[in-house]
Amino acid sequence: MNEGKRPGGLTALAVINFVFFGLGLIGLFGWVALFALVGKIPTDDMTELQRNQIEAFQEMGFSLFVVIFVLSLVSNVLLLLSGIGYLKQKKVLGWMIGNAYAIVSVISSIVSALMFPAELGGGFNIGIIIGLIYPIVTLALLNTTFKEDLTN
Amino acid sequence: MKLRTLNIRHMRLISLYWSRYAVRGGAGLVYLLVALTFGLSVAHILITPVEQLIIRQKREMGQTDPQIIRKTINDIGQPIAQWVLGLKTMKEILQESATPPGAIMGDSDGTSTTKGQQNDPRFDPWTYFLIEKKPALLSAIFLVLIFGMPFAISFLAFNQISGDAQSYGLRYLLLRTDRTNIYLGRFLGTVIFSTAVMAIIVATITFYLGVRTRIYPAAALAGWAVCGFLALSIQMVPYIAVCSLISASVDSPFLSLVLAKVVIAGVLFLAILGRFAWEPAKYIKYALPWGWQCHLLHPAWLHWGGAIIACLAYTAMFLMLGYYRFVKRDL
Repeated sequence: MNEGKRPGGLTALAVINFVFFGLGLIGLFGWVALFALVGKIPTDDMTELQRNQIEAFQEMGFSLFVVIFVLSLVSNVLLLLSGIGYLKQKKVLGWMIGNAYAIVSVISSIVSALMFPAELGGGFNIGIIIGLIYPIVTLALLNTTFKEDLTN
Repeated sequence: MKLRTLNIRHMRLISLYWSRYAVRGGAGLVYLLVALTFGLSVAHILITPVEQLIIRQKREMGQTDPQIIRKTINDIGQPIAQWVLGLKTMKEILQESATPPGAIMGDSDGTSTTKGQQNDPRFDPWTYFLIEKKPALLSAIFLVLIFGMPFAISFLAFNQISGDAQSYGLRYLLLRTDRTNIYLGRFLGTVIFSTAVMAIIVATITFYLGVRTRIYPAAALAGWAVCGFLALSIQMVPYIAVCSLISASVDSPFLSLVLAKVVIAGVLFLAILGRFAWEPAKYIKYALPWGWQCHLLHPAWLHWGGAIIACLAYTAMFLMLGYYRFVKRDL
């Protein structure tokens, strides 16, 4: 398959990858900033729920923070690379890296669900399902609809 | 419509191919992601406060208090129901939430009602049915989806004809089948795809509510989920027909998408904003099923039956208009 015959869905997938990459990058910066500043945030005017969330974040160990951060960073880099791969219809950069992104992202969601306290969205909840939508759709499409298009 | 040239086998082939092609073409993929994210986010926003309450009760008391949970669900579901059903304005709902309990409110006919009485779901039979008789959380989610999903449908249905008309690709298809089969086949393919997405959303939410929260009996949840799924699926059909009409009338897919968005959202916003200047302008919403679609969840069969007939009538009208434009135009 050459680039001229790239299906619209693959282009859409690439664009969505770039959008999610941008959002993920902002999320990573926010994650680091929150972890750095969490001890300095005044909790006096907060609701009980917000105070519980801040306390849960403070009690979260550094190692868990590093694990989540690394997984998020890796899945973000894979998002960017696979987006480029989709546009160029590459087998390794598109199909393989795209699958790797989906798998890392699913693992990241499962780790968050298992290790995060309930106050921070841990445990099985509908937020986890929302987070799994895109990786699962990516996994399904790369191995069915677009499998024959990523061959360069 | 030339029924002589209508070929069911061709239509079936075109519709099945079209529903499969939707994801490959990009429109289906975008719609799938937008609809899934929107549907599950609505569920997330409405279910989370109840889940947190259950977690807190279990932690503090060792068990859950169904009465407090029920009250929380009513507090969430009732304003949503009253606003989406058009029984109260946002201003009235905000005023009520700010009024202290038991405050007396004078009515124009001289009678007076307390805030507690107004907030009692029994005050209005439709709200009472949705909040008390049926699983209230699911009802609230369905109401928001019924209101919000028409805004998303144009992502799927905008390019039924316009893209191929622009690239002259339809000329090759017309060697093998008639325009009627192409037009209706693609419309049906879009309806099949939209219905499948609705099924995924409703099944996920219902399964989650049943397994995770365990507030409602499984049979009640499943039964109401089927009703909600049917209501959502039926209400999407006329909006898909509007997109078919627009797509058959313009050559540019982008223009088709913009027009579909402007028409679907514009009718509602014109009705809402127009009535501030001129009260009868609120009836503009009946140019599309905006004024009927909530009745698909009404307890009285006359209402939901009427809403189904109205949706089918809108569909037939928009399809006919689009069809006449499609058969007469140069491809």
